[in-house]
Amino acid sequence: MITKIVSKNFETENSHTLEVAKQNGAYRSIDEAFTKPSYLIETEISNSGLRGKGGGGAPAGAKWCLATRAREMDNITTSSYLVVNADESEPGTFKDRQILEFDPHLLLEGMILTCYAIGANEAYIYIRGEYKFFAERLNEAIAEAYADGILGNKVKGFDYRVDITVHRGAGAYICGEKSALLESLEGNRGHPRLKPHKPSPEYYFGKPTLVNNVETIATVPFIVNNGAAAYRAYGTEKSPGTLLFGMSGHINNPGIYEMAFGESMQDFIDKIGGGIKNGKKLKAVIPGGASTPVLSAQEVKEARLDYESMKATGSALGTGGMIIMDEDTCMVSALKNLLSFYHHESCGQCTPCREGTAWVDGIIANMLNQKAKKDDIDLLSDISKTMNGKTICVFAPAVAMVIDGFILRFRSEFEAYIEKSLGEAHV
Amino acid sequence: MSEMVNIMVDGQKLKVPEGELLLPVLLKNGISVPHFCYHDALGPDGNCRMCMVEIEGQKRPQVSCDTFIKKDMVVNTKNENINDVKRKILELELLSHPVDCPICDQAGECSLQDYYMEFGLNEARRPKEEKKLKNKKLDIGRNIILDQERCVLCARCTRFTQEITHTNELAIIGRGNDARVSTMPGQQMHTPYAMNIIDLCPVGALTSKDFRFKQRVWFMHSSKSICHGCAKGCNIYLDHNQEKYKSDTIFRFRPRLNHQVNGHFICDEGRLTYNQENAERVNEFYHHNRIITEENALSYLLRWLNDLKPLLIVSPSLSLEELYVIQILAKRFELDINAYSEGYIDLDFEDDWLRSKDRSANLEGVKKLGIKMSKDELIASLKETTCIINFNHKSFIGADLDIQALLAHKQEAHFLSHLFENYKHKELILPISSYSEHEGSLINEEGILQRYEAGLHNDKKSLLELLHAAISTPDTASQVWEEGLSEVLGIEYEEIPPEGKQL
Repeated sequence: MITKIVSKNFETENSHTLEVAKQNGAYRSIDEAFTKPSYLIETEISNSGLRGKGGGGAPAGAKWCLATRAREMDNITTSSYLVVNADESEPGTFKDRQILEFDPHLLLEGMILTCYAIGANEAYIYIRGEYKFFAERLNEAIAEAYADGILGNKVKGFDYRVDITVHRGAGAYICGEKSALLESLEGNRGHPRLKPHKPSPEYYFGKPTLVNNVETIATVPFIVNNGAAAYRAYGTEKSPGTLLFGMSGHINNPGIYEMAFGESMQDFIDKIGGGIKNGKKLKAVIPGGASTPVLSAQEVKEARLDYESMKATGSALGTGGMIIMDEDTCMVSALKNLLSFYHHESCGQCTPCREGTAWVDGIIANMLNQKAKKDDIDLLSDISKTMNGKTICVFAPAVAMVIDGFILRFRSEFEAYIEKSLGEAHV
Repeated sequence: MSEMVNIMVDGQKLKVPEGELLLPVLLKNGISVPHFCYHDALGPDGNCRMCMVEIEGQKRPQVSCDTFIKKDMVVNTKNENINDVKRKILELELLSHPVDCPICDQAGECSLQDYYMEFGLNEARRPKEEKKLKNKKLDIGRNIILDQERCVLCARCTRFTQEITHTNELAIIGRGNDARVSTMPGQQMHTPYAMNIIDLCPVGALTSKDFRFKQRVWFMHSSKSICHGCAKGCNIYLDHNQEKYKSDTIFRFRPRLNHQVNGHFICDEGRLTYNQENAERVNEFYHHNRIITEENALSYLLRWLNDLKPLLIVSPSLSLEELYVIQILAKRFELDINAYSEGYIDLDFEDDWLRSKDRSANLEGVKKLGIKMSKDELIASLKETTCIINFNHKSFIGADLDIQALLAHKQEAHFLSHLFENYKHKELILPISSYSEHEGSLINEEGILQRYEAGLHNDKKSLLELLHAAISTPDTASQVWEEGLSEVLGIEYEEIPPEGKQL
């Protein structure tokens, strides 16, 4: 089941150093790619069907096209920007840090190729503030690359400049949203921007900018080296390739495992994860980071790990970071845990999210403190309806989907809490 | 100019410019759409999510402040569906609001109140003990009081300091429902335009320390006036009320939109000139500190005019009508007029936006009517007379020793709206109404002719009426224009458009 593309060097000793990385073939793709026209890389990426691995799963090629087309349309002669989103803050997701820790040169190689493809000379890595160790490791790798002439005014002797800067965030989940990330990078408050009305790239200081996840960019060297077909050999028709799937929670072997899309979730949990801790039964799985609707054990049996199947199951693949919950888990407490997170992380820009996240968090807290009211479940559904689809970014809709997912699948547990509260009140 | 297209709004056909933002166009067409963050001066921000409308063909309700007009668009702003959405979002806005309307100055002109009455009217679904408490009554400087609990975080005030004044005193700090408007720790508002954020604030979060608790807004009447604080001629609303047993009093000035002159804003100093307008009025006729009747005062005046050949000194803040009537007077008695106005110049006041160094309101008008205004001419005229009549000029002597020496033994008569300290004990004092009490017109420093309304209804005669009583000159503004002012300026009084006319 394991397919190693991005994670191929993770187990090599000292894989983060340039010396070892070079032995593993790092930066070799540049030699050939830079002798050919830049659009070939973009074509290859489009053909490979590579999908953004930050959670949304949007086709990467289309996004690259937007960034390059916008330059032509707006008649911008200066270069555009590449921004790598390393603000990995989704609860349950810990894949990008593996790349940053064990193979930073893979990311840098991918960035150089991408810069060349979209016509960017400057690239930024926006890394979450808490990733201090990883930011330092990345900076070491960048320093090594500069010293070796891989980065700088002449990339490996070619007449093309690429400069990479690491920028540490200040600890806001919302800065993982690409437009908020760019606002933050520009020095503003990390508030998501209003969405454009037609397909358009992001803009950093008014210039077209490509924002991609760490893992997406780290996949680029493989595709450039081996061609689109080699990548398409893995995974399904619509979700080609691999993803770094993660497992955490009540599981025997938590960790990050790279797999092709389309595998069975149950097999992944049983065979690679080694089953549920202490021999207990599975109760629920949050499939791809906290913001995807929870799945019941029954649904897990059917679920296949690709974007389309997960959507059909009533959830989303997201980042592939699964949170496994055993039979003893209290789902109301689990929801409270998530809602506290969202309450704390809502940026507070739009009303439905700012007030809504706090309100639902309060309602669940009341429930746990046996102060629930009779209509609380309906109230939760009603608030989540107001939060869904009425905000600037997808934060509030994600929260709404999380709430709806929990209530839909585990309603009886919520009702039990309410009954308990009402019982107390009668006494 | 964008092409005009037809759209349907609530079943009504509208012809509107294609590609423009929907919300301002709807508002312009008199369709009420609730909104907090959008403001004509600041544009949309998209954070309040109140201006939701239903657009046929779109799956979800859309914010009209971020929707562009397309041909044949069908918009619903009022059906049950969309009202429910708005009600729910309003509920969220009010979730932690203290609902202290009875002690809030904004009550009566508060968007939250209006919208709640229009389509909210819901019972609170969260107990009030769970409301998020924030800070109240924060003095953030420049006469502004911030109440963070009443705030809907529309960011109009922060955007004003960021995008309009570029002074950046305000920001939103904190995340989620902990977010609040704040100044930097230990810092205060310092822009001389700060008080505009009070008008921008759609709710009671920003109130004026100067106006707080003085008057309920629904008792006040608004008149369209022009600020006399400097030569810019900013358009204002003059909000006044006559309380029982008191005279009609101004409680505040608010900016009045005029794209040609001041846009949406006025400066703080101009805004607070209403205090001077209210204070120290002259109410009686005096002769050597003795109260006399109007008839006696006017007979003294006539005797002076006939016998002493007085020099007429006019304030550059008088209206065109008053100046013209004084010109008629001068012609009839063959007198000299002078409007020497160095004392009105305040170089420290000037900036590159709305504040002019000329602190008089009608200097351009004085020039247009050809009234002398140089110091040399003033000195020459003073040497030839033993008597002056001053028309509300507050500081023509100033610190000028030459002029002071010349005035030493002269008789002085003063038509005054306000009691200026140095004129208190002069021979003859005649009270006249001020600009807040009579209508008139002015020319600002950019040469824009503007009209203002009479505001206060106080029992005080205007200069026009007094001179009419004395020498039968025309006694209303429109008559003055008919008498000849129209000819001088080349425009009829009634033809002056509301936004003024560039001469």
